[in-house]
Formats: sequence, structure tokens, C-alpha cells
Amino acid sequence: MKMKRLVSTLLAGAMVLSLVACGNAAAPAASTDAAPAADTSSTDTAAADTDAAAADTTEAVDTASDEAITLEMWCIATESDSNRHSYEAAIADMQAAYPNITLNWEAFENQSYKTKIKAAVSADEMPDIFFTWSCAFLGDFVAAGKVYCLDDAYQNYKDELPEVMLGNTTYDGKHYGVPLTMNIVGLFANMDLLKQVGYDEIPGSYDEFIACCDALKAAGIIPFGCAGKETWCVTEYLESVIEKSVGADALNDIFLGRATWNNPDVGAAVDTFQKLVNDGYFDPSGIGLTNDEVKANFMDGKYAFYMNGTWNCADFAANENFKDKVKVSEFPVINADKAKLGQLIGGPSDTLAVAASSPNAAKAADYAFELGKLICHYGYLDGCGLPAWTPYGDTSGINPLTQAVSEICAAADSYVLFGDTAMSADDANTYLSYVDQVYGCQVDGTQFIEGLANDIR
Amino acid sequence: MAKKNKNDVYEEERYTLKKTNPALKTLIYIFLLIWALINLFPIYFMFTFSLKSNDEIFGKNIVGLPKDWLWANYASAMKTGNMGLYFVNSIIVTTLAIAISIIAAMMATYAITRIRWRLSNLTNAFFMLGLTIPLQASIVPVYVVLSKLHWLNRYSTLIVPYSAFALSMAILICTGFMVEIPFDLDEAARIDGCGLWGTFFKIILPLMKPALSTIGVYSYLQCWNEFMFANVFISDSKHRTLPVGIKALSGQHTTDWGPIGAALVIATFPTLFVYIFLSKKIQESFIAGAVKG
Amino acid sequence: MADTKTKKANSIVAQKRRKKIGTGISIFLFLLPGLLLFVSILIAPIAVSLYRSTYDWNGFSEGTFIGLANYKELFTNGSIKFMVALKNSLILAAFSVFIQLPFSLFLALLLGRKYKGERAFLSIFFMPVLISTVVIGQLWLKIYNPDYGLLNTLLDALHLSSWKHVWVGEVKTALGAILVPTIWQYIGYHMLLMYAGVKGVSPDLREAAMLDGATNWQVDRYVVIPIIKPIIRVSVIFAVTGSLKTYDLVRILTEGGPFQTTEVPSTLLENMLFLRNRYGMGSTISVMLIFLCFAFALLISAAFKEKEY
Repeated sequence: MKMKRLVSTLLAGAMVLSLVACGNAAAPAASTDAAPAADTSSTDTAAADTDAAAADTTEAVDTASDEAITLEMWCIATESDSNRHSYEAAIADMQAAYPNITLNWEAFENQSYKTKIKAAVSADEMPDIFFTWSCAFLGDFVAAGKVYCLDDAYQNYKDELPEVMLGNTTYDGKHYGVPLTMNIVGLFANMDLLKQVGYDEIPGSYDEFIACCDALKAAGIIPFGCAGKETWCVTEYLESVIEKSVGADALNDIFLGRATWNNPDVGAAVDTFQKLVNDGYFDPSGIGLTNDEVKANFMDGKYAFYMNGTWNCADFAANENFKDKVKVSEFPVINADKAKLGQLIGGPSDTLAVAASSPNAAKAADYAFELGKLICHYGYLDGCGLPAWTPYGDTSGINPLTQAVSEICAAADSYVLFGDTAMSADDANTYLSYVDQVYGCQVDGTQFIEGLANDIR
Repeated sequence: MAKKNKNDVYEEERYTLKKTNPALKTLIYIFLLIWALINLFPIYFMFTFSLKSNDEIFGKNIVGLPKDWLWANYASAMKTGNMGLYFVNSIIVTTLAIAISIIAAMMATYAITRIRWRLSNLTNAFFMLGLTIPLQASIVPVYVVLSKLHWLNRYSTLIVPYSAFALSMAILICTGFMVEIPFDLDEAARIDGCGLWGTFFKIILPLMKPALSTIGVYSYLQCWNEFMFANVFISDSKHRTLPVGIKALSGQHTTDWGPIGAALVIATFPTLFVYIFLSKKIQESFIAGAVKG
Repeated sequence: MADTKTKKANSIVAQKRRKKIGTGISIFLFLLPGLLLFVSILIAPIAVSLYRSTYDWNGFSEGTFIGLANYKELFTNGSIKFMVALKNSLILAAFSVFIQLPFSLFLALLLGRKYKGERAFLSIFFMPVLISTVVIGQLWLKIYNPDYGLLNTLLDALHLSSWKHVWVGEVKTALGAILVPTIWQYIGYHMLLMYAGVKGVSPDLREAAMLDGATNWQVDRYVVIPIIKPIIRVSVIFAVTGSLKTYDLVRILTEGGPFQTTEVPSTLLENMLFLRNRYGMGSTISVMLIFLCFAFALLISAAFKEKEY
């Protein structure tokens, strides 16, 4: 317990850094488009980057020992995952650049991977490199001493990977994770439906936004789609409403255990959210739907808005019928005294880590950095998320939605990581169960804050 | 063999029942047919599901025939999903697990039901404990042991736990069948000079044939769709089994359901065919079992 | 004289003892493969769970011994929802014993009477069991879907729109929405088991009863059912322990929601072990689950024995 506390306080410190950081990192994303080749397809860029990676290789990994080694890696980039291509491309590049190192990688389904990796940590059967989520998920493994410290390896990558991006994977002042891409919560809108009620843009102020929702409702269009069966989908709405009511710092303090949940402003924000539910802005069927179903409904034109992670950009942009209708924006500010635009929900969470038990841990660490850089690069090009690493190469081919998100991030002021990622596993589940009850109107704002203040240790 | 057939015919002739009221009979048939349709529907659903795109699966066309028959779903399940290999793996693991559990169960049941000793009831109760154990609870302890023994990522990593988990059920079914075999047979065998082992192999085992298929079917159900152990114990895709392979077709935030449907068809239809083919044999064995009384 | 007698007696005793030892060894050898598998894969992990249930442990760090605190928390901490989960699985068990099993028995008896197409019916009725729960779950999600689901569409067509529900999302209907498919899917499972028993009843017995003027139903009631009682007992045990361990369909249909009202012990167990990192509490739930299943199995066996005498 003591260790956990310690980790979370340290984490808290790290998060402050990352708040400032994410804004900086995203800034070059929007402006590095000045690459010479006009309209290069991603394969061309891939070829060019291989050389770059190969050039880096020589200095990064000490080539003194030529002995061939094999590294094992587990990840969740399954065949139908949107990140699959970026992993494949990155690994192909790596294999060309490091013929000595054979990488055996396996991909597992997201939910079952959580079981698998935890069992593997228990039995000390972890692969050399493994995919993990940042903050609490990796933190538990670090606290148990199962993760290799990456401080030494990081020295070679300082220029390409801003230290602030490591905030979510820094414990006790030491770095343990290689971030890949990052994502935020976006307010996606179906512009066809908005035009029907006379809006050409996503409303920028909260009052306008509510007026727009009323107009939609009057026109028989459901404003919001949200999957009640998967509580994390509800948090995408609720956390945005809270953040835009109480401000990013206050919410961050609560998530990281620095402040109590018992904050009347949060209670009021929860009531604001619940008013949206009670006013009938949400699809009443949503409580019985999965996210796959809700997303399909949104793309089918059933909802005007869909708040969800920006990992959806690639999917939306790939759908021929839908890509011209959809726009993305930031949730409007509710209480301008405490919150402002540029305060976002999200941050780097997808991470690679190296097992302490690995016989080649040092080499695996270098390899993980190189690989992470490439996965981030290709993932960004594919529109799977925003880069945690400083982007390079030609990024003009990226889909307009992801570019719009990069602009939002470029103007970002601070980030609050998704609550269920930021909190420890047990607390996160308690939190989710309360969120569930808020969405179902079983508890109101006051009961929500008091209940959480009591139940979270 | 010939003798048995004669028995069947003989029995067939004797097995005449009273004429049922024809109206009632029709009613019963209508009922059976409706129930059959209800039970066949999932198969139709699965098949059409496997040929659709997400658009149709979610909303546009949930139970109708697919608008475009997307056979490509099968190609992607086989090629990128690697279902062929996983199917073979599943067959190897399931068959061996069933075989081991049947042998172990037959032997144990024989010792419990047909040899008189003091602790036989207790032993039986001990084995029944197995029915009560939730799989999830044993994952980590078994995994830790297997990893200490360097016994991961092989077929036997799954075969042994599967046969252990199928054992209780197999013993339970076996007991039901074995107590029905008249004890006179054992005594007769003993008088003929058969020992315990001789009685077991020469008298009991041949009479347990009908139980074999029942146990086989029920053990199959436990092994074929097992996901938890397969997910945790097997980390290289060479030894992956179907349930894990199918699950791996869904992504973190995006899932293409068509190929999953195709993979499910690949996992299910062969067993349905085998079952239909075998059901004749299974039912014959039931009837053969009837002769023993 | 006396000496030889005792010697003879001694040798008989020795022979008997030797035989007894031989039988003992045989018993041991017969049990060995089963015991080996059973103890190493099933019993040893329970022992580990029992030990871990007295710890506050997240699965990988050092744990702290807390005695029976987990057990106490399990029953007193309302937010763990163990009592809800237990109640749900007992409801399921009741439905399964009093609705599913009689129906399975009815089908088994019916098919046992040599109807034309008996074999085809038997195979078809068993098919839902062979189909992966993923498919069954997806199918029922399509039936329950609030917007385009078959059930709500049907209610609309019958002008019963007021009966429409978000079936898996509303507290009132969610548990029922799980019960129906679970019970339906395994009707064939118990039917096949019972059918094997029905077919095992000697035709002579049937015929004798028929000659005495008994109707089909009477034969079933007074001849067949008493004979297949051991198999019915097996079915009841499976149904109850199976209900206590239900997992798959709950995960697919409701994920334990809404508001955790449809949690069952296995979903809680998995959440504790692998989602909430509370391995100690997870072990506690599994120990409780094993204890309950075993208690029920013994109770059922006892109930059946009582009836026999």
C-alpha cells in the first residue's frame, strides 16, 4: 500500500510535467509538413525512414558484440486492430536495420491480454518487450520490481522524445516506458445532421451547444450516442463535462489522489451531465448497446454527436460515405471562471516496457526505443493517434480528421489522462461503477462525490 | 459383429408400442418441428453473419440473407486469421485430452464402483469436487507451476489441464453407466480366473462402449471452446487454439465482425458434421447398451 | 497336530492379507492416473487459493496476511456485490432445475419412444450446445437490440409497443434476458444425457408394463424415470453447479450491468483477479464458490438418496 501511495504521488509530480509537455510535442506535428517531397505515399516515406533508422542504429546500439539474439514481444496489435499496419511496418524496418536481432512478436486481443500479462508477471514469464498501458497499469508492475528501468537507454533518444512525454510512465523519478501514440477525447459531429438544424460549424460555446442539441431534438434527431454497456464510453462524456466545469488541474488532482472527490464543483458538474441525460439528449437505447453498435449507429447517421477517443479518426476517414460528413472539435467550456479551451482529456497511454527478467534487457531497451519511435511514426501517418515522439518525414498525407486533432492539441493547454487509466485498478473499477450509476440516474452529483470519497481508499 | 446385428433386429421387432392417438401424434410432431426450427436458427444466423459486413450486422440487415455474399471474410479468416493452423491445434489438443480423460475416468470409476473397499465413496466425493472448481481460480497457480517446469507453449500444456478438468464429469457419467452393469458378470469372470485387471479389460470396458460416446461429447464441449487457459498458457501462435485465434480477430477499438463470423463457422461446422455423422453411431451404441440389461 | 493347524490358518490369513494388499495395489493403480491429474491440476490450486484468500495481495508484489478479513469484507462490503451475484446464480439454478430439466426430460422421453426421425431431432436439439457461446450471444444481442432487435420489432408488429424494453439495459429485464438464452442453450445438453439413460431401459420392462395395460406416459412415469434416476441426479448436479459457475453469456449480454445487478460469482471473480488486481479477494470468492458448489452437490445427492428408500 505504502509503495502504491508513493508511486501515485510521484506520478502526480510527473503529470504536471506532462501537462506542459503534451502541448509542446504536438506543436511541431502541425508544422513539420514542410517536407520536400510533395504528396508522398506512406510507403515512400517508409523507405526513406528506413535509412534514417539504419543511420541511428549504428550509434544507438553498440555493435561491438555481433552475436545474434532473439527478443520476444507481446502486444495487442491484432490483425483487425487499427495499429496493426504501423507495427508491421515498424518491425519490418527494424529487422532490416538490426539483422542480428530476431524479434518474435505475438498479438493478443485487448481484454484477454490484460489477464495474460498479469498472469505472466505473477509467474515471471514476461517476454522481453511487452505492451502496457501507462500510469497505474504499468505502475503496479514497477512497484513489484518486474520492469527494467529505461533511464540509461533514454539518454540516446532525448532529442527525439521529449522527456515530458514520459510523465505517465515515470515512477520514483525513473523512466520505465516507451510511449507510442497518444489520444484525446474528441467531440465528433455529423455535419449533415447539424446542417439540417441550421449549424454549419460545431457550436463553440456551451449555450450555443445546448441550443443546438435542443434544435436537434426538436427535429427528431438524437444528439448523443453513448454505449452504456461499456462504462468507459460514458466517462468520455462525463470527464469532459467535469473538466470543462472545474478545470483541468482540479480534476487531475482528484484522479491522482491529491485532492478529495468530495468537491461540490464536481458534484455540480455531474449534475450538469445528468441534466443532459434527463433532457433526453442521449439515445435512450444506449444503455443496452455496445460501443461497436453505437459507433455503427453514428456512422449510419443516427446521432449528431459522438464523444470518443481520437483513435476513431482513421476509421471515420476510411469510410467513403462518412468521411465528408464528420468533423471533430473540442467540448465547449461550461464554466469559464474555472475552465478554458485547450484543457483536454487524454495523453500518452499506449506504451512499450522491458521486463526486468529479460536476459538481454539492455539491448531490449534500446530496441524498444527504436521500435517505439517507428510505431509512433507509422501510427501517426495512419491516423491511429497523435505522436508522442517528435514527428519527422512527410505528414501531409494524414487524414484531415487526425490533422484537425493535431491542431486542437497544438493549441492545448493541459491534459488530464483518462480516469480509469490514471487510477489504480481497484479504484478505477469503483469509479466506473459510480459513473455507471450516474448515467442510469441512480445517484446524483452529491451522492457521486460523497460515495467516491468514501469508497476510494 | 454379426451377432450384434442380429440382436438389433430382434430387438427392433419386439419394440412395438401401443398405437398413439393420431391427433396427438400430429400435435407432437408439430411441436418437435417447431422446436427443431428454433434450434436450427442459430446455425442459419451464424452462416449468414459470416458473409456480411459490419454495416449489415449492425442494423441494416440482421437476420436476412446477406446483400453481398462476402466470401472474402473466409479468405481473411483463413489467411490473416490463420484459422487452418488453429483448427488443427484445437483438434490435436481436444482429441488427446478427451482420450486421456476417458482412460483415466474408466479406470478410476472401475476402482470406485466395482471393487469393494472402505474409502470408495469418499474417493468418489473427492473427484466430484472437480465439478465445483471455477477455471479462473486455478489459472495463476497452474501457470506458475507450469512455468517452473518449463512446460509452456506446447500442446501438452493444454492437454493435461483439459483432461484434468474433464475428468470429474467423465467419472460422473461413467459411474451412471457402470453401476448398471450387473455385478454377476464380475463374479462370473472371477470364477473363470480373471483378476481385477482381466475383468476390467475383458468384461467391463467392452460393455462401456455406449458411455464412451457420451463422455466424448461432453468432454469435447469442455475442451473445444475453452479460452482462459489457452489464452494464458500459450504465447506462441504456432500452438494457439481456435477460441484464442478467433478472439484475436477483434481489435482494441475497431472490430470487423464478418471474419469473426467466418472463423466461428470454420470452428463449428466441421464439428456439426462430425456430430451428425457420429450421432448415428452414438445412438446405435445407446441401443447396444440396452442389450446389456 | 495343533501346530500344523495354526500354520495352515496362518498361511490362509497370510494369503488373504496378500490378496488384500494385491487388491489395494490394484485399486491404487486404477486410481493413479486420475488422481495424478486431479490433484496436480485441480486440488493443488485450490489449496493455493485457500492460502491466498487470507492475504491482501495484488498478484505480483509482496502480500500482507490479513486472516479472514477478505471473507468478512465479501459479505459486508456492499460494493463488492457478492450477495447479488449469489442471488442471481441461485435464481438461474432454480430456473434450470425446475424449467430446463423437466423440459429436457420431456424431450428425452418423447424421443425415446421411437418416433420417425428420432435421430434427426436428437441431433438438431443438441446443436445449440455445440455452437460457440459467442455466436449464441451475438444472436441474442440481435434479438434484444432496442432499435432493430427482433423482439421489439415483433412487439411493434403486434401493436404492443408499450411492452418494448431496452432488454439488456434495464434493471427489470436484464436478468431475464440472460436466463432465457442460458436455459435454452443447454436444454439439449441435459436431453442427450437423459436420452442415453432412457435408451438404456430394457425393452422387456417396457413391454411388460404395456402388457399390463399401462399407457406410454405411465410407462415413463413408473418404469423409465425410476430407472434413470441416477442420470437425473447427475443432470441436477450439473445444472446447479453449472449455474453457480455461469460466465460466458453474462459477459457477452450484459457485462454484469446495469449497475452490477446481473453480476454472477464468476464475473466478480475474474474482475477481482485480473481487473482490479485484488488477487486475495479473488481467491476468497473462488473458495466460496467451490464451497457452495460442493455443498449443493452433496445436498442434491442426499436428497436423491432419501427418495430412493
